[in-house]
Amino acid sequence: MTAVPLKELVQRNLNSIIPITAFIILVVGLRITNPYFLATRDSVVTLALDMSWFLIAATGLTLVILMGSFDFSVPNIVKLSAIICGVFYEYLGFGVIPIALLVSLIFGLVNGLLLARFNIPSFMATLATGIIAEGIAQLISGGYIRVIVDPNFIALATAVIPPGIGLPAIFYWALALWAIGIFITLGTPFGRKIYAIGSNIEGAKLAGVKLIKTRILVFMLCALYAGIAGVLYASQLQGSHMHIGTLDTLPLFSSVVVGGTALAGGIGGVHRTLLGVLIVKWLDSGMSMVALDINFRMVVFGAIALIMTILTIDRRRVKIIR
Amino acid sequence: MSNKVSRSSALKSPILVSVTRLIRANPVMWAIIVMIIIFSAIEGDAFLSTRNFISILRGFAVTLALALGPTFVILTGRLDISFVGIWMFGNTLAWLLFPHMGYYSLLICPIFGTFIGFLNGIIHAKLKTPAFISTLAMTAVLGYLTTIIRNWLGVISLTVPPPEFAQNWPIPYLPLPFLLALPTIILALYIMFFTKLGTYFCAIGSDEEAVTHMGVNRDKYLILAFTVSGMLTGLGSIAIFVHLGWQAKVLFDLDDVVRGLAAIVLGGTPLSGGMGGPHRTLLGALAYVLIFNGLFLLPGIDPNQLKLYIGALLFVAVIAASKSLKGVIMT
Amino acid sequence: MPPSVPLLEAKNISKTFNGAVRALDNVSIVIYEREIVSVVGENGAGKSTLMKILVGVHQPDSGELYYRGVKVPFPRNPLEALQRGISIVYQEKGVIPHLKVYQYLFFGLEEYFMKFGRLNLGRIFSLAQSIFDELKVKIDISRYMFELPLSTRKLVEIAKAILSVRCVAAGRCDSSDYNPIIILDEPTAPLSTEERDELLSHLHKLKEGTSFIFVSHIIPEVIKFSDRVYVLRDGKVIAEHNLCEEKVDEELLFREIVGREISRYLIPHMISKEELKRRPLVLSVQNLTKKGYFSNISFDLRKGECLGIFGPAGSGKSEIVKCIYGVMYPDSGKIILKGKPIKLREDPGDRLSRGIGYFSGETGKELFLYWPIRKNLSIVNLDKVTRGPFKAVLSITAEKSLAEKLMKKLRIKAPSPETECFSLSGGNKQKVSVAKWFERMPEILLLEDPTMGIDVGSREEIYEVLLDMKKNGVSMILVSDDPKEYVLLCDRILYIMGGIQQGIYTVEEFRRLMEQ
Repeated sequence: MTAVPLKELVQRNLNSIIPITAFIILVVGLRITNPYFLATRDSVVTLALDMSWFLIAATGLTLVILMGSFDFSVPNIVKLSAIICGVFYEYLGFGVIPIALLVSLIFGLVNGLLLARFNIPSFMATLATGIIAEGIAQLISGGYIRVIVDPNFIALATAVIPPGIGLPAIFYWALALWAIGIFITLGTPFGRKIYAIGSNIEGAKLAGVKLIKTRILVFMLCALYAGIAGVLYASQLQGSHMHIGTLDTLPLFSSVVVGGTALAGGIGGVHRTLLGVLIVKWLDSGMSMVALDINFRMVVFGAIALIMTILTIDRRRVKIIR
Repeated sequence: MSNKVSRSSALKSPILVSVTRLIRANPVMWAIIVMIIIFSAIEGDAFLSTRNFISILRGFAVTLALALGPTFVILTGRLDISFVGIWMFGNTLAWLLFPHMGYYSLLICPIFGTFIGFLNGIIHAKLKTPAFISTLAMTAVLGYLTTIIRNWLGVISLTVPPPEFAQNWPIPYLPLPFLLALPTIILALYIMFFTKLGTYFCAIGSDEEAVTHMGVNRDKYLILAFTVSGMLTGLGSIAIFVHLGWQAKVLFDLDDVVRGLAAIVLGGTPLSGGMGGPHRTLLGALAYVLIFNGLFLLPGIDPNQLKLYIGALLFVAVIAASKSLKGVIMT
Repeated sequence: MPPSVPLLEAKNISKTFNGAVRALDNVSIVIYEREIVSVVGENGAGKSTLMKILVGVHQPDSGELYYRGVKVPFPRNPLEALQRGISIVYQEKGVIPHLKVYQYLFFGLEEYFMKFGRLNLGRIFSLAQSIFDELKVKIDISRYMFELPLSTRKLVEIAKAILSVRCVAAGRCDSSDYNPIIILDEPTAPLSTEERDELLSHLHKLKEGTSFIFVSHIIPEVIKFSDRVYVLRDGKVIAEHNLCEEKVDEELLFREIVGREISRYLIPHMISKEELKRRPLVLSVQNLTKKGYFSNISFDLRKGECLGIFGPAGSGKSEIVKCIYGVMYPDSGKIILKGKPIKLREDPGDRLSRGIGYFSGETGKELFLYWPIRKNLSIVNLDKVTRGPFKAVLSITAEKSLAEKLMKKLRIKAPSPETECFSLSGGNKQKVSVAKWFERMPEILLLEDPTMGIDVGSREEIYEVLLDMKKNGVSMILVSDDPKEYVLLCDRILYIMGGIQQGIYTVEEFRRLMEQ
């Protein structure tokens, strides 16, 4: 093995170095500015509630991005799923959950079909379906947020485990789903095919990867994750204001990219998304502690997403960038 | 989009041939005619009134102001979503400069647009970032900055008092925003057909490698495409400023992005580029405006359903435009 | 026919690439006004290098260039070549499909048509019309390039080349008293027989004001349509014929081109005709047609046999194979796999499940360059490296041992199975690519340019692997640009030209046919 010059080593591993460095800086910085950060149980619980649904949605999104595609509709599916739970709970009880998940799966199916069968670029297709999802959400909710008061349902997300001193259930859900995501992508042939499509779609086709079937499945999986996130979000809502919307695409996307998963696909993975979500959410908390406007925070996420994309694009591979 | 074989003899001017073919073969044209007929039948007076006509022209102008610029980038096969940001922030700049420059401050819009367009071009062509991500980020940043400025300054809206002639608009049938949009339309058509840029952008969208092989500097023309896009959007944003009541919009809304893209897609310019252009976007914008105008006037329309219709429209438009003429696998 | 002073004279051109490959060795050619000169030779004989030097894409190591008797420097880029009056129409670079004819014609030349800062469309249209009148061809200049049939597209390309020279060299796009030299690189390869004749007869009409250098290896055309012929072999001009004065027949030219190499090959492994008939039928293709590429292709494939589809570039051979694998879809016909007809429109994934594999020498496309070797080897063998119920769990250890086994068997030189493929040499990349198919052992393996651009040693090793697979019962279909490969690997050859099947022969019969 020949010695690799430091500069090249850094460049090649940029998508690992950056997130880790950012993470360290953030932890240190936040600790310094606010001694209460993560010091009290309350702040930890708040953080867990804030980032858990986000992690689930981001994990799903990571699967799509690994393939080299994009899914604009994720936050809208989360919202729709949450609203379905809220609106129909009084009629269906826990039965809303399979309905919400089914609806999410349908959206995923449509997204996949639009891309794989109709050859429509994924950002365009999911932009359209995302708006439809939001439209349906608006239609069935009539603009009002229905909060579920049934303690059993609320417990789904917020039951504290271990009782009294632990973290809300949603945190464990999120970790479990994230771990499942890792298993799918790194430990199954299906996951290998996802990476194949993201690395070299022509090569994947020639190697016999069934593009249509695989891509549809991935979009459906992503939508399912989003649906689950929505159900759990509705569970933890408890009267607080629902402020998910299309705006959230930017932070979601940032968290995937900041973790080190490349936009073009084939590089990175679900294992990195946890770190990315932590960074994004902590950055968000940090910014709100300094009382920065939501809009300013969006600007920051936009800038981060852009910079990470520029830095991690593997220029060797991609000749024609669109 | 079907391309019927023209039976014209070699002597007929190719421009005439193209125009006739556009009208005959373009399904959007038929859709527009059908819509006009249906809406006239259902809504009669409301639809065919002068007031509605003016309203349609205004919507048409605003949609074009957003959609004409990005059309040029889409010709090259890339996506440019930055138009919303350019419009909002450019208008904000105009508002900021108004106390110092009066109405001349509006001229900052095209200048700003050109600058941002150029920046987009550099980020894409030189830094090799996928266009849709970089322009998405750009539009988000610019859009949110507008809100930040408003909040920071503590004002409710960014309005400018309209001049005398605008308050009592003398010309019937033609609203001011529409007239203000005309230079953008004319400029877009000129660039497309009377300079080599239109041809070069289509060529890049059609077969980039062949273009480079012929010795043409692809990066240069890509940057030009984005610059032209920004400039046209900036120029058009003056019309939107006036249309909204001589004020800058301060809340970033994804619907505006959809509006611009839908007009382009409905017009028949394929997203993969190579064909189409501002002449098609004109039709697409008209179709878009007609649909929403007609829907609004329908008795018993529920405002909550509006978003759904926008989404459904985009959905249909996107599928209809999916007949890409190349065998490229989309991601 | 030719007057005394040549239009262009290139003397003693030599060019060596990378210090090792001698592409041209003291080549001299001469072109006079108003003539068609052909340059013929096999692949690798040096034809395209010579042309690239003339148009400024490469610089010669030595040599002199004279234009109308005056010594001039070699063009340093295509623009300078244009200024010198030399232009080239490439075989495959292609037109820009979505441009209209008049847009394509003047693409790159718009500066000659500006009036007050805008395009003078009127002049563009009239000039476009007039060049086609000159060519005596009826073309609707407002049509898109993709709408035109292939032969018409070629004509437009040629017209563009002529116009380019006129604009750049003569300064005026409508000047017709300037004698450009247009190089045509295999112009007729993608065309059918009728289209060819049409194109060539147009060229003859054009000869009055233009000289052509016709690069080809279709001997009958060369003899029919050119005035003089140069034969290149191994970088040297080994013969020159003046067809106006000499009577040259096809056999003579063929022998000069090929140099009797084919007969020198030993073919011990070939399956005899009788043996073939006894083998079970694996694939049967009937009347396979794809408009614009090939029509009515029919053949049978037996177990363990290798059928070669042989023809010049653009004859449709690669499209046939792509259609069998599902990368492209045919329009009509039947494909019968082991007695059962299969769908014409299926994805490669489905074809692979049926036992059909596809190996392309184009490693850029086939290989996952930034993946380690083991991942590249396992991608078509995923079922062999999975464990557990439903074969759901991917086992990295299984992958590693598979990779080690294959690396050893095929002598792939790399530090470990974790090495990323982009760092391997060309030959080793190819070996990785073929190794995965070796492991898979599909019933049918389609081969397209299996040894594209690799060194002789690796080439031999790959042939060994393929022959080994053949012995194990894998049936193959070969498409390649290297005639020697067909002789080495194939049992029978399907000869195709211009998309039309000319016949199926054993290698022995085919050899005799070619030598006639």
